[in-house]
Amino acid sequence: MAALIGNDILDIGSRKARRQREDPMAPGFAFGAPGQFDIPNVADPAAYCRSNFASVCGTGDEDQSVKFMKGTTTLAFKFNGGVIVSVDSRSTMGAYISSGTVKKVIEINPFLLGTMAGGAADCSFWERNLGMECRLYELRNGRRISVAGASKLLANVMSSYRGYGLSMGTMIAGWDEKGPQLYYVDDDGTRLKGKIFSVGSGSTYAYGVLDNYYREDLTIEEAVDLGKRAIYHAAHRDAASGGINNLYHMTKDGFVKVHSIDVNDMHYQFAEERARAMQS
Amino acid sequence: MSILEYNGAAIIAMAGDGCVGIAADRRLGAQLHTIATDFTKCFRMAPKLYVGLGGLATDVQTLHQLLEFRMNLYTLKEEREMTPQVFSHLLSHLLYEKRFGPYFVEPVVCGLDEKGEPFLSGMDLIGAPVTAKDFVVTGTCTGNLFGMCESLYKPKMNPDELFECLAQSLLSSVDRDSVSGWGGIVHIITKDNVITRELKGRMD
Amino acid sequence: MDTVVGVCYEGGVVIAADQSNGRSILTYQTNLDKIAKLSSHSMMGVSGPNCDLVNFTQYVAKNINLYELSNDGTKLSTKAQANFARGELATALRKGPFQVNVLLAGYDDKTKGSLYHLDYMGAMQKVKYGAQGYAQYFVSSIFDKDCTENMTEEDAVKIVEKCIKEIHTRFLMSQPNFIIKKVDKDGVKVLSFDADPADT
Repeated sequence: MAALIGNDILDIGSRKARRQREDPMAPGFAFGAPGQFDIPNVADPAAYCRSNFASVCGTGDEDQSVKFMKGTTTLAFKFNGGVIVSVDSRSTMGAYISSGTVKKVIEINPFLLGTMAGGAADCSFWERNLGMECRLYELRNGRRISVAGASKLLANVMSSYRGYGLSMGTMIAGWDEKGPQLYYVDDDGTRLKGKIFSVGSGSTYAYGVLDNYYREDLTIEEAVDLGKRAIYHAAHRDAASGGINNLYHMTKDGFVKVHSIDVNDMHYQFAEERARAMQS
Repeated sequence: MSILEYNGAAIIAMAGDGCVGIAADRRLGAQLHTIATDFTKCFRMAPKLYVGLGGLATDVQTLHQLLEFRMNLYTLKEEREMTPQVFSHLLSHLLYEKRFGPYFVEPVVCGLDEKGEPFLSGMDLIGAPVTAKDFVVTGTCTGNLFGMCESLYKPKMNPDELFECLAQSLLSSVDRDSVSGWGGIVHIITKDNVITRELKGRMD
Repeated sequence: MDTVVGVCYEGGVVIAADQSNGRSILTYQTNLDKIAKLSSHSMMGVSGPNCDLVNFTQYVAKNINLYELSNDGTKLSTKAQANFARGELATALRKGPFQVNVLLAGYDDKTKGSLYHLDYMGAMQKVKYGAQGYAQYFVSSIFDKDCTENMTEEDAVKIVEKCIKEIHTRFLMSQPNFIIKKVDKDGVKVLSFDADPADT
């Protein structure tokens, strides 16, 4: 089975179905089961993967020997000036903080950004794979893929691996012919188009701030501030979020990385601002 | 997640030259959610005796109240303060009394005995005592705490050095633990007085 | 499942709670009052199964009342009431716990308004603002952002209304009605409700 992987490992997502049709020697898992990765030789491979290698968000994997990165706050929202993508940088393994400087925004290409929540490996692998597919589309058709199309490619991969324990909650933000776009795609194949999304264990806290202060006619400065504040409040309340706030702005000319600010510096800065406001 | 990790804690007790210190974080959480950042986990049991209780917050408070009751009773009966050694034994017995339905608390005890010598002890949730000459730790990031203390501790520290050592050990340890931190507090017990300082820590 | 939120302001405390009670996939009632009055100047917002909720609040309220009656009308401070409730929760924890999470608010002449956060195990913490139930994941950030020192009653109510709006927009479960109460120097008072608890 290992021979099936060949030398084009990045090619698994999109052409999986075709390979399965073409290769009569492919492992006998009919009806959309993965054929390119080695599959455990057990009666129910999906259930086996799910119960041993799933990177469940939250605390669903205590009894599992293989645990993955999780615990995150990521958010993105569309406004008249484009799309803001704002994330934290903490990575935890159980209670231990395995890193405080993770890059959770994946720069797929200058006009496409993906965010990372859930399993780090699942997110980075499949979003890189998406980057490749988008580039191929561009070479074949002579124009950039729409964000709708790109997010659909990712959603198709997710739906074909449904039940195998992948863990991914991502937002695909971009700018295409129709203007700024924002999609949410997750591991059970859900794909939503929307104006405001937040994903991860700290998302509810971020939503609390976002919903209350979001307007479509925010200025760029206000929007950047909102994105940063929402991440700060989530990082403060959620144990599994924190570290550095990386914030991107998607414009018609491609993405701009606006800032990387330590959430802790923000805390004391906001506390000072509040104290000053109280005095006056 | 273990019951001992439900609320999150990080506590160190350390000995210096004729002084002891105890440091704790300030978080009260419910798993990943942070409820408050001014929770008390170190308690003064006598003028030169502190106990740090790490574990389930409800049992931290219950046990503290129980200890305070027993301390008051002792001082009334004996008309003297309890020594750290006696206190440590009392605590150990209180914990073992609940052997088959324990308080989910792992305490550390620190104080100066009647000769002014440092006393440190730590125990597990059913009261197995461990005494140490240098430091004892408890909480959700004991691995981190031990690592920091092992590298920063040196014998015969004066109160200022002890404070610095405790503060640095605590802050660095909780920066790598998601469920403890959000500021800290340090008490340094010397033969004359107790110095209490609050620490600014990372608030995420 | 239930939502209880509370905020201290200069001279008092506001507590809001949802008015729904349901089971499995069914909503039974949407005009409940989950904020019990404990004494003339204290109240308790409770989240949990109706059985424990009623038993616990009534037990605490009656005992506080009994204390006043048997001690020549001596009133328990809010702190004492909160500690009593904590003790009961902690004792019950090891013999069939009360599944209740509590926000206890009161007014004392000395300390003015105070608010205590208690979980069903009995961990107690005095807070400036707090929430119980799933709501805490949605509204904590709103409190952190908007609450300041020396807020007026209007400020506090405005923040609580923001929280309720957020719960309406983001929380999956339907909690259409909320009751808001306050406690200040004049005692416990209902500020507003979406459905009259007396209307049965």
